[in-house]
Amino acid sequence: MIEVEDLKVRFGRRDILSGVSLTAAAGEVTAIVGPNGSGKTTLLRAVDGEIASTGRIAINGRDRRAMRPWELALLRGVLPQKTALSFPFTVLEIVRLGLTGNGARLPPGEAERLPEEALRRVDLAGFSGRFYQELSGGEQQRVQLARVLCQVWTPVVDGEPRWLFLDEPVSSLDIKHQLGIMELAADFARAGGGVIAVLHDLNLAAMFADRVVMMKRGGVWAAGPPGEVLRDEVLHEVFECRLSVGSVPRAGTPFVLPQSASGAERRRA
Amino acid sequence: MSADLSIASPGFRRRPCIAGDRSFLAKATIAGLVVAFAATFLFSLTAGASDASPLPLLRDLLLAGGEGVSQHERIIIGDIRLPRAILGSLVGAALAVSGAVMQGLFRNPLADPGLVGVSAGAGLGAITVIVLGSTLLGPAIALFGIFALPLAAFFGGLLSTLILYRVATRRGQTSIATMLLAGIALAALAGALSGVLIFLADDAQLRDLTFWGLGSLAGATWSKIAAAGPIIVLALMATPFLARSLNALSLGEASAHHLGIPVQRMKMIAITSVAAAVGASVAVSGGIGFVGIVVPHLLRLAIGPDNRYLIPASALLGAVLLLLADAVSRTIVAPAEFPIGIVTAAVGAPFFLWILLRRRGVLDL
Repeated sequence: MIEVEDLKVRFGRRDILSGVSLTAAAGEVTAIVGPNGSGKTTLLRAVDGEIASTGRIAINGRDRRAMRPWELALLRGVLPQKTALSFPFTVLEIVRLGLTGNGARLPPGEAERLPEEALRRVDLAGFSGRFYQELSGGEQQRVQLARVLCQVWTPVVDGEPRWLFLDEPVSSLDIKHQLGIMELAADFARAGGGVIAVLHDLNLAAMFADRVVMMKRGGVWAAGPPGEVLRDEVLHEVFECRLSVGSVPRAGTPFVLPQSASGAERRRA
Repeated sequence: MSADLSIASPGFRRRPCIAGDRSFLAKATIAGLVVAFAATFLFSLTAGASDASPLPLLRDLLLAGGEGVSQHERIIIGDIRLPRAILGSLVGAALAVSGAVMQGLFRNPLADPGLVGVSAGAGLGAITVIVLGSTLLGPAIALFGIFALPLAAFFGGLLSTLILYRVATRRGQTSIATMLLAGIALAALAGALSGVLIFLADDAQLRDLTFWGLGSLAGATWSKIAAAGPIIVLALMATPFLARSLNALSLGEASAHHLGIPVQRMKMIAITSVAAAVGASVAVSGGIGFVGIVVPHLLRLAIGPDNRYLIPASALLGAVLLLLADAVSRTIVAPAEFPIGIVTAAVGAPFFLWILLRRRGVLDL
């Protein structure tokens, strides 16, 4: 369980987060959605301690602010939006960096096997010898995810859930890999771990999230199961554009169909 | 385990057991460098301006337990060449490792203590002690003894590294252009202050300063080793513990934090080690340039950028190259001696231009 109470972040005189409270449960995928600049990434980074904030943050009942970097690293992996690499590492060398925090705690042989296993999970089997900088943007994003997976490979350790913080994990992926990566995240949650993912695609959030946190202007606008949050009036208020929400036959999950940015009816000439 | 190795870039030719795993290649390279270092070290004991040289002497020393070695030869080897070879190895290793660590810290293959003003700052510290040591700083010299010079150089180097980092790095991102320009400014400032001191210096001090400034291992003595050696060895011993952190840092500061690295503390340890190693080296050998950029760059081409291997390999190759450069500098115009800084600059500067040519598209200068 991750509990956040009254989290505030200021850059200069501007409030980026103005008192956010939320909980995310292990065993669930929590999606954070909202317009550009609503504070989604800032929320994730503040919870992780990369930027200064005030308010209470507890991970698995422990005060995050009292945790040392390596303790935190054993508990959660983070996939950032962008990663700029400064030297020509191979894909395998990058993925192995994920073992930095917990490599010594793995059973013998596991450290050798894990990176390739992680690459298989992100559909990059056979890429280990390639140079990272020569890959496409989507492939690089999946390599980074494989690295993060290596760090928190087992979703539950000694009865304690581990966490995946994913900041737009599918932003540069094709449709097949968007689904593949979201399924991977859902599997991690089903195995007992916790996932918090910043997403732009409302339909992926509807399909894969157990809980959706809708943000606007640095605060939580609505939170709850996808069916409760992804409703016409909420989306209209938050995104200020025309969308229509339907329901997938049989599955019952909502889907969101974009209509027009202005709010007016849009017709093709 | 695919056929993807066909795109291998320079230095990645051999196929290890797992594709993309260069650790075997790296370990083999380090083993090779150990042998090369031993050979170069012995060679530098035998080569020189004196006729007390070649292989028979080596054979006598190593196999016959020193029998048949004349007193003259003993003095040349024991009091001149041995300290010189040890000092050369220490300085070469210190400069190369400092380059590797700075490049990892700045996340930038062009960072080098000589290029970005760290050596100039250390030089200013050293010059201050040389010129003012007998007057203004007399009490301090009396207090620190032989360590005064390397300590002053250390603080000069530390100060310029801190200023450089403060100026060139913003939110964990180092701008290459800012770093190089700030380095020029720092070197100019240190040069101006050094100029003032040189203006104040007397004739004897001037001669010392000129030769020292060109970079030289001449005048290596056991007492110089006693002064600079411990500092260099301590700094070098700290760097392998930074290797994993520097690897993580190549993904950026945020990702290093995610991987459990205490980033701020690690950066301070790295900066202090670099300043100590460079400061002590500059104090005893003056401005020997380009070792810090040439050695790690060559090694990255061969074994990749993994600092766990890059750092020890840099230490070895740095020592080897400096010993060779020193051998050249004292034989090329024998019996006179050529300052080693000129040799490393003559080789290193064109090499640096070549790196720029190769990478200017990537560097986005």
